[in-house]
Amino acid sequence: MRLQIDERRCKGCNLCTLVCPYRIFKPGKRANLRGVIVPELDRPERCANCRLRDLYGRTLCGMCQMICPDQAISWVKEEEHVPKKVAIEY
Amino acid sequence: MSEEEWLRQDRLPHIFCAGCGNGTVINCTLSAVEQIGWKKQDTIFVSGIGCSSRAPGYISTDSLHTTHGRALAFATGIKLANPGLNVVVFTGDGDLAAIGGNHFIHACRRNIDITVVCMNNMIYGMTGGQGSPTTPLGGLSTTTPYGSKEPAFDLCGLASAAGANYVARWTSYHVRELTRSILTGLETPGFSFIESLVQCPTNYGRRNRFKQVTDQIEYFRSHTILVEKAVRMKEKGEEVPADMILSGEFVRRNRPALGVRP
Repeated sequence: MRLQIDERRCKGCNLCTLVCPYRIFKPGKRANLRGVIVPELDRPERCANCRLRDLYGRTLCGMCQMICPDQAISWVKEEEHVPKKVAIEY
Repeated sequence: MSEEEWLRQDRLPHIFCAGCGNGTVINCTLSAVEQIGWKKQDTIFVSGIGCSSRAPGYISTDSLHTTHGRALAFATGIKLANPGLNVVVFTGDGDLAAIGGNHFIHACRRNIDITVVCMNNMIYGMTGGQGSPTTPLGGLSTTTPYGSKEPAFDLCGLASAAGANYVARWTSYHVRELTRSILTGLETPGFSFIESLVQCPTNYGRRNRFKQVTDQIEYFRSHTILVEKAVRMKEKGEEVPADMILSGEFVRRNRPALGVRP
């Protein structure tokens, strides 16, 4: 499972940057179309709790999603990793 | 079903200010309702007037948005008319402690089977930041520009004394504990009261040296102390600092409840 921030709902309060134990969220720099400075995800694949959600079948940490006052943080299913065949030409 | 399905998607994003803690409490309540497995058609959310009382409008169940302070009176009516319904009341501190104070103590006395989630932001947020009965001593607001001179209302103490079956207090920082407490409150037959201190960045934090939303959450984190720890400190003869917020479960008992199907 992968984290995502819904830019239409986020109001830029940066509470997620405070609670994440992996510091996945960092304060954003650029305002979006609504003028809100939405936090950015910094290498979200580092979050072990998000990766192991499916294996354990329950929410493991989920602090960012629970504390988000705007219900903007959620998880999306990741596609299966398909190994690509690379042809190397000499 | 997930929490997302309990929300009215077409109403989001909600009108709460950026960083308002009411949204967090909605998350926790929906998570608890989700865990207990109630059905949408058997659940009713009731609220009065205020910032916090806009919460049922974002939840896709039947809800009542009632007059100021009278949410508990309406909830009592619902529960007594149809004890099969599960009633959850969202109120704010001005709604519950100030204008609805009498309804509150009598609902506790009757011990009706409802769950009350009080989002205490320590100020009247919607009307422009007037001081409420729960504004802490020295807190600045538009009606207390030199700091509040009155002691604040201890809502949990009031509910315990008036006879509620389950009383707990957490803050919007303690989301896991708050969810667990709300779940216990929903399971408990009889009146369960869960107070949650929430941040109000626009009207409280701005006037009380919390420039950022995260500052007030940090304050909640560092200035809460568990009830059990406070009791232990008192037994050892240590002084509990006066500005500490007591949090945790205050009361869990089994008084006969009203409105429960035998």
